[in-house]
Amino acid sequence: MPNLAKERWVKMDHNWDFATIFQNWRVYWVGLQGTLLMFGVTVTFGMFGGLIIGILRYIKHPVAAWPARVFVEVFRNTPVLVQIIWFYYAFPVLTGIETSPFQAAALGISLNTMAFSAEIYRAGIQSIEKGQWEGGKAIGMNFAQTMRRVILPVALKRVLPALTNRGIEVFKMSTLASVVAYVETLLQAKLIADLNYNPIESYTAVALIFFVVLYPVVQGTYALERVLNRSDR
Amino acid sequence: MEWNFAPVLGGMDLLLWGLLNTLKITGLALAFGVPLGLGLALMRLSTLRPVSMVSAFIIEFFRTTPPLVQLFWFFFAFPILFSINMTPFTAAIVTFSIQSSAFFAEIFRSGIQSIDHGQWEGSKAIGMNRNQSLRRVILPQAVKRMIPAFMERSIELLKTTTLVSTIAYTDLMYQANDLAQRTFRPLEVYSVVALIYFVLIFGFSQLSIMVERRLAKSGEGTVG
Repeated sequence: MPNLAKERWVKMDHNWDFATIFQNWRVYWVGLQGTLLMFGVTVTFGMFGGLIIGILRYIKHPVAAWPARVFVEVFRNTPVLVQIIWFYYAFPVLTGIETSPFQAAALGISLNTMAFSAEIYRAGIQSIEKGQWEGGKAIGMNFAQTMRRVILPVALKRVLPALTNRGIEVFKMSTLASVVAYVETLLQAKLIADLNYNPIESYTAVALIFFVVLYPVVQGTYALERVLNRSDR
Repeated sequence: MEWNFAPVLGGMDLLLWGLLNTLKITGLALAFGVPLGLGLALMRLSTLRPVSMVSAFIIEFFRTTPPLVQLFWFFFAFPILFSINMTPFTAAIVTFSIQSSAFFAEIFRSGIQSIDHGQWEGSKAIGMNRNQSLRRVILPQAVKRMIPAFMERSIELLKTTTLVSTIAYTDLMYQANDLAQRTFRPLEVYSVVALIYFVLIFGFSQLSIMVERRLAKSGEGTVG
């Protein structure tokens, strides 16, 4: 009887066979490179573009502030998967420009990241006391100089934890590119699972890859937050 | 390029059915995820080191792995390992409940930790044990502070549920793919679906901003 119960619940006899995973390490390696490329491109565009949009929103630019607000609201309030699929299937119909899986996913994730990071930058700049602006002006700096030399260095330090959290989200988001068949880690794992009938090992391996890459980064952000908290006091 | 919304309007009942399923998944994942998150948070705050370590591992693991990988694992790997039948629906509920519980746990934890230590001492002084102080004194105050973070996470969850379309559960996203393929009108279909998501999520966001303002007025700031 106990054996029966055991067999129904847990297949204790499942032979974990990671050998095929290791044999196919090149397939995962190609996937991981795809993941890293997607992450690198989207995080770069997302963080720099977000800074520009965040500043435009902060200074309430007469022409650009309103479109910037619409952009931020649209991309923050729709799921990123919808954005990727829209850029892959709908955008080419609208513009006549074909988008590759890489381009569609990179566009969706970059724009999404821009919208989120713009709000982070804006909050950071707003958190700086007015006196800093006045001080900058008093010693003869113009707006751009004060922003670059006085405000941004302090603001960026304050929002660094929020930005690194966003970066971690972006890294995880790269798996969504597999939906439009961009070659990254999850798509490669699916390939291995389908070829070798080993979904257990194959998907466990991807989960472990992401955990191993991101866990130290997350611990690093905790340490960073502690250091920043201390240096602020 | 000519816009033609007739095919989309013709398939509106399908899309609304999908929307209903999206809300169903979100609601159920919340219903399981929140209590599970509270449990994980209490475990993590436990003074028993092994208990808090196990909970910390679960939380970190589900926070650092992509939800799509988790969904594939629960749909393709878990049923073989445990010889259980998994429908796309159950796989989605299991994945999103656990995934969001890991995030809710952190919200609960920071909420509980934000409560002044004197509150614990005060309830101890009038003879309450740890459980009683937690239930009667700490949580009621902590929950109020957590509401904004909690709402933000719920909105994130709603957005994450689009992933179930990849394992063929008929949520709004899946219905959109289906309709786009059948009508050859991807531009109109996906634009309308994006709009539906936008209205839904923007509505919830505005609501959470309103709630946050009211809480700020009543003297309960957001947990950082």
